[in-house]
Amino acid sequence: MKTTDLAVIGAGPGGLAAAITAAQAGLRVTLIDESPRPGGQYLRGTGRQATQSIPRAEQRTRAFLQQLPHPHIDLQTGTLVWGIDDRTLALHGPNGNFNLQAEQIIIATGGRELVPPFPGWTLPGVMTLGAAQILTKEYGLLPGKRIALAGSGPLLLAAASALLAKDARIIAILEATHPGAWLPHVNALWGNFNRLLEGNAYLRTIQRHKIPYRFGQTVIQATGKGQLEYIVTAKLDPRGRPVPGSEKEIAADTLCLGFGLIPNTELAQLAECQHEYSTTRGGWVPARDKYLQTSQPGIYAVGEAAGVGGADMALMEGQIAALAITRRFNQIPALQRQLRPLRRFAVMLNTLFAPPLALNTLASDETIICRCQEVRAGEIRQAVRQGNHTLGGLKNSIHIGQGQCQGRTCGPLLTRLIASQTHEPPEAAGQFRPRPPLKPISLGALAQEQRP
Amino acid sequence: MNTTADAIIIGGGIVGAACAYYLSERGLAVHLIERDFPASGTSRACDGLILQWDKLPGAELSLGLASQKLWRDLAAELDAEIGFEQAGTIFLAEQADQMEAGKEKANALSASGQRAEVLTPGELRELEPELALDLAGGVLFPDDLQVDPRRATLAMLAAARRRGARITTGEAVLNFQRAPGDNPAITGVITPGGSIAAAHVICAAGVWSAEITQLAGLSLPIRPRKGHILVSDIRPKKIHHPLLEGGYATTVQLAAEDVQVALVAEMTASGSLLLGSSREFAGFDRRVSLAVIRAIAQRAARFLPHLAHSSVIRSYAGLRPWSPDHLPLIGPCEQAPGFYLASGHEGAGIGLAPITGKLIADWVTGAALPPYANAVLPDRFDPIKGSKTNVLI
Repeated sequence: MKTTDLAVIGAGPGGLAAAITAAQAGLRVTLIDESPRPGGQYLRGTGRQATQSIPRAEQRTRAFLQQLPHPHIDLQTGTLVWGIDDRTLALHGPNGNFNLQAEQIIIATGGRELVPPFPGWTLPGVMTLGAAQILTKEYGLLPGKRIALAGSGPLLLAAASALLAKDARIIAILEATHPGAWLPHVNALWGNFNRLLEGNAYLRTIQRHKIPYRFGQTVIQATGKGQLEYIVTAKLDPRGRPVPGSEKEIAADTLCLGFGLIPNTELAQLAECQHEYSTTRGGWVPARDKYLQTSQPGIYAVGEAAGVGGADMALMEGQIAALAITRRFNQIPALQRQLRPLRRFAVMLNTLFAPPLALNTLASDETIICRCQEVRAGEIRQAVRQGNHTLGGLKNSIHIGQGQCQGRTCGPLLTRLIASQTHEPPEAAGQFRPRPPLKPISLGALAQEQRP
Repeated sequence: MNTTADAIIIGGGIVGAACAYYLSERGLAVHLIERDFPASGTSRACDGLILQWDKLPGAELSLGLASQKLWRDLAAELDAEIGFEQAGTIFLAEQADQMEAGKEKANALSASGQRAEVLTPGELRELEPELALDLAGGVLFPDDLQVDPRRATLAMLAAARRRGARITTGEAVLNFQRAPGDNPAITGVITPGGSIAAAHVICAAGVWSAEITQLAGLSLPIRPRKGHILVSDIRPKKIHHPLLEGGYATTVQLAAEDVQVALVAEMTASGSLLLGSSREFAGFDRRVSLAVIRAIAQRAARFLPHLAHSSVIRSYAGLRPWSPDHLPLIGPCEQAPGFYLASGHEGAGIGLAPITGKLIADWVTGAALPPYANAVLPDRFDPIKGSKTNVLI
């Protein structure tokens, strides 16, 4: 079996920082990523015009990236980690299916976007902000001709900026939260001037293009025959409920949605790391000690995968975990000091821009929640009324979360749907239990004999 | 709150649900207690095949045939979609010697009135074009059945509830109520919600039955025998019958300690393909073993090579309640009057659930019993009979 001193899963900012930092101390590192290239969603998604300065986190990520290839790093791209059994990882990539036995593991699997469901959200033309950015950045394609953006948080501005760089026609940007909520969080801004400047640069781009940027509004419905044609927008009251009478119908062929990120915890769950629920870090996250080690000795978690906080935070965390693994503890306190204001800032962003729970009630009974198996909100609500207040109970009483995506998409939505119906805290609904393979692999690949 | 019932059933899996169904049918006031939610244990981590050809002649086959008939009746009686189908099963012979074993099984089952059609390699491929070209042949058993275990459990519980059964979920049995003095009789159970008194208490807790019987001072010889299943999405392709490799019956009957793997392939109503099977003693560990799912995938690719490009989307492991003589434990326990067992079915719990529920109802109501009822009495094992050493687990 292949062996390695350290397996780093995910080659975004956190994973890159961890791999390079550990390799510098002489460890044999295997750096694994599902994408064909390292850099993560972060480098793929940076939208910037030539006139803008490069954000600090991007500079640092690129500096780590430039150290590849590295004599101590075995880079496995296009490779999926689909299982874990103690410290043995099951991988599938261009070199087939193989097991990798690692002395230590750093999970840096990033996050994914959260979109609360509403009527029409499954229409072609409705997509996530990330999908729109991939189209523009990777393929040079614009997702549509009349584009609306809705959601909450800084990614909304970043995506708008990326689309504008390709001369997209954006008809509106709808930020669901209210600016009045900023004041109690002023303390967290201290020490985060870089992040603020980054946001400010995006804002200036948007103002220059005279794009309507509305706070306290969102899209509550999407309509069209086989393709998005109209969106219905509404004002939201401070609790996130649509204000009756404020609805407006607008023609649009593309709607890009993003209400912040949630951590990709499936691998950490499969490794049986203890998890806790944190509304200020994006939901379920693995519990960690001060060196970012999970409850499973030798398994660390860094970056968005362990709590949403942005690339700056992921870079710091990747280094801290790698320094702890290579026992260079004297270098850690300085990084921890830099991490503190970043964490405060992340908590503020995640609190300010958390999609209000009321948005989860927008779905009509006909709205599809589980896309794999076409389960509608009405069926779910009825099952909840019958006493199924957990994801496990729902899965058992109605067929949900068992299709191609294994509940990756609907799981976090169900957590919030249940909470908005039962008025219990979201964590009371529990989680789906991931099983190998974490993402589909072919039967033939799974059957492949291990290379000696 | 303290309540009473005629019969208490511990466990809301398919066996407990069948007990609730047949006891409530006889007019008894039933109270079923499930510590998690219905079908949360082995009944949702298994396949739904109801076979006869893996059974040994005698009590085992008699139980199987009686239960087969009950399943047909249930499919008509239950007012719900339970995925019932008379799909038949196909025994696959990899080599000539297995073909001989298959023919023997065909003859044995024909003698019991079950249909069996011996298939040449050509006939086999005509029925199942996805199969490998080099198989020695097969046997079609057209009377074998298929259900969706989870739905069937929920449907039997719903029917029992309509007849007045109480079903409590999310509550565990903490202890038993005993008759006063030295009387060993069980008179009810204690739960966090209060005590429930009943003349009859039935343990249908499957692989977790030993935990329950320990509260009653009885030791059970039931051990968890772990199994893995892979879920594959093979659309637009399909298989038309559940397929089992001939070596499957051997893995069932052998009590080997190491991992036994034999192909079982079954399409579900939702269009996914379930691939099994494995048998191993691994305690109560329900984690998926990478080595075992690889071995199952290899058997699947051996028999169904065209599915190599189909995706595997999930795997899971479940625990079968294994009994030392491969027969379930059904009926009263002499040492604890009022206490009954309905457990130890290993991999046959889905198939044998109805006959188990019916036998329990017969015992409880004092109805006439079929001859094979004695062969499955729990007291055939010493610790349950009450030998001095109550330690065997």
